[in-house]
Amino acid sequence: MRELIMVRYGEIYLKGLNRPYFQNLLLSRVKNAVKAFGGQAVLHDSRIYVRGMTDTQSCIRALTRVFGVHSVCPAVEMEKDDFKAICAQALQLMEGLEGTFKVYARRADKRYPMDSPEINAQLGGYILSRRPDLRVDIRTPDHALNVEIRDYAYLYVRVYPGPGGMPVGSNGRAALLLSGGIDSPVAGYMIAKRGVSLCAVHFHSFPYTGERSKEKVLELARTLSGYCGGMRVYVVPFTDIQMRIHEQCPEDYTTLIMRRYMMRIAEGIARKERAQALITGESIGQVASQTMSALACTDAVVEGPVFRPLIGFDKSEIIDYAQRIGTYETSCLPYEDCCTVFTPRHPVTQPKLDKTALAEQRMDNAEVLMAEAIEKAEIIDL
Amino acid sequence: MDIYLDNSATTRPADSVIKAMRSAMTDGYFNPSALYAPALAVEKHMNGCRDQIRQALHANGGQVIFTSGGTEADNLAILGPLKDRGPGGRVLYSAGEHPAVIESCKALSAYGYEVAEIALQPDGVMDIDHFEAQLTGDTRLICVMQVNNETGAIQPLAQVSKLRDEKCPDALLHVDGVQGFLRHDCPVQAWGIDSYALSAHKIHGPKGIGALWVGERVRLSPILYGGGQEKGLRSGTENTPGIAGLSAAIASYPKEHAMRTLKLRLLERLVAGIPTLHVNGPVPDSADAADHILNLSFAPVRAETMLHALEAESMYAGNGSACSSRKQRHSHVLTAMGVPRERMESALRFSLSPDVDTAQIDAAAQAIIRNYDMLKIFKRR
Repeated sequence: MRELIMVRYGEIYLKGLNRPYFQNLLLSRVKNAVKAFGGQAVLHDSRIYVRGMTDTQSCIRALTRVFGVHSVCPAVEMEKDDFKAICAQALQLMEGLEGTFKVYARRADKRYPMDSPEINAQLGGYILSRRPDLRVDIRTPDHALNVEIRDYAYLYVRVYPGPGGMPVGSNGRAALLLSGGIDSPVAGYMIAKRGVSLCAVHFHSFPYTGERSKEKVLELARTLSGYCGGMRVYVVPFTDIQMRIHEQCPEDYTTLIMRRYMMRIAEGIARKERAQALITGESIGQVASQTMSALACTDAVVEGPVFRPLIGFDKSEIIDYAQRIGTYETSCLPYEDCCTVFTPRHPVTQPKLDKTALAEQRMDNAEVLMAEAIEKAEIIDL
Repeated sequence: MDIYLDNSATTRPADSVIKAMRSAMTDGYFNPSALYAPALAVEKHMNGCRDQIRQALHANGGQVIFTSGGTEADNLAILGPLKDRGPGGRVLYSAGEHPAVIESCKALSAYGYEVAEIALQPDGVMDIDHFEAQLTGDTRLICVMQVNNETGAIQPLAQVSKLRDEKCPDALLHVDGVQGFLRHDCPVQAWGIDSYALSAHKIHGPKGIGALWVGERVRLSPILYGGGQEKGLRSGTENTPGIAGLSAAIASYPKEHAMRTLKLRLLERLVAGIPTLHVNGPVPDSADAADHILNLSFAPVRAETMLHALEAESMYAGNGSACSSRKQRHSHVLTAMGVPRERMESALRFSLSPDVDTAQIDAAAQAIIRNYDMLKIFKRR
């Protein structure tokens, strides 16, 4: 009898001939996640098995953050021929549990003498005879006792849901515009979950924002890298551009023009990073720069696709998500944010593209300033 | 070189302090409760520091209890005499108190006490009429700080004590002296003060050590339990290096200094360059204003922006109270004074130490004006 963790994957099952590619990528992500706890992962029979870990609970926690993982089950692996031993082990797993249960047998090894309904009945009967306090409920049981008959028998009761999605790296690379707010980390999480590897671009406006606000953003990026396994962050000095916009462009257009420069710079960095798309945390109508017309004006300055996974989300839904992925508390720290520094009193909400371009033309030397900002960006690898 | 004008947040430990602490760790590391002679020497040194504190407070007698700092001293002074001593009564604190005092007072409401706040005047000094109105016969404790940490407003302790004697002589008077100790005189017995909290790191001593002086009539119970050190009032092996540092800090704190002159010089230069400048607190050259603290609003430039701009030139000032800059809220002190929002958001605190010199003040004034002129154009509209 051996204790191990069984990792099950979801969407990869739907893949056809290239399924091995996805499986192997997921395996390497799982190996990375359990390395710190001494765990060793192998792919076998459409499952990933993790053995040899020193700290099972931490290992489980790390695995539930690996994109592509459907669920994580601490399990017992044992010889399948002695059914009595399986029953005894199952009884032990049910220890301390109360209420109703159901046995779910899966017989992958079709040579096994008992079929699944028979295992269900025999094992269920055995448990009931030893634990008269438990009851069977086959529709909505409190506990599911899983028995899988493969090369060995695998028994487990607890199932921790994984994040789902696809293994990071299976779907290209994108640059996330990361502020200190609540939305952008969630947007990054959602796209990374689809297998996209991330780099982040943060705009820093010293002295309007200080070291603490930068550290806050890096902390958010660290939380995200817990899911997507490392991330490069570009901290772009943005003060000169912001001041120039503020000085030379009409007040009601300043935020929109600022957003357009952020997109341009992010695309420049994306090119350097071989990232194929930009990601932002915008949602329709949340603020003036996120109305449909404003989004059209920001989109107009970049060539590649811009992913906005939160586009149809309410703020409260985004907050729920941020709390779930663990970025909310950091996002709520009070330091000034580059986006809020020069907020105009009455920003334009229905901008026209031609008017915006005209307003923007009043800026001197914008190309030079942008190139400088990209050049001088601080690069931090997390 | 750095120009450090955030001495109300903390001060740089004096060289003599570091030396004394080093020696307390290398040579005098003994547990003062042990029976052998070197331990006794440590204990004597500790008692010497208690005498220094009494002397600084002009106290004949009373106990000095060492704590982990000002916060613990305030907690002990407030919870110690009252927490298990029903049947309740009133606890008053001035609205400008440090959170260590306010939160300790509020904690007393769980023990059946009625907790009430005394209003501040627009200059940050407590409203003595409001205090008189609040002072009922069943008042058990009054907490008023010596010097406000954000505005430098010196509180009218002698008057508070006199009113207390007239209307409610049994009420205890606790004074948080963290920002006042050594910088402004506080004769505790002459002013009828019952307890006085102080902290070492505001007077060029180390962090992690403070003390509470308590007068004869206070019946104190401990808030920490353990080995019974400090006559059972503060268990835990004494922080002897910290106490050695505190002792050296008191000994080396200059009797004479130019902080008031320099503070006024800073203000004068700044007003000349920034006519719209606003002082938050008492008139700086009045008797109500502390020598070392100046709270100024640079509207429309936000405090955080000015602070970072100065930081880029290695000049450091405070934004409100350092204890709360992690929380997003306006200063409770400036709010209680009725300071309008824009002034609050642009308020910086300059706090001096005896180390600050004229050249630093002039350089700071110059840098502030230069940054102000640049930053005021790029204000949030």
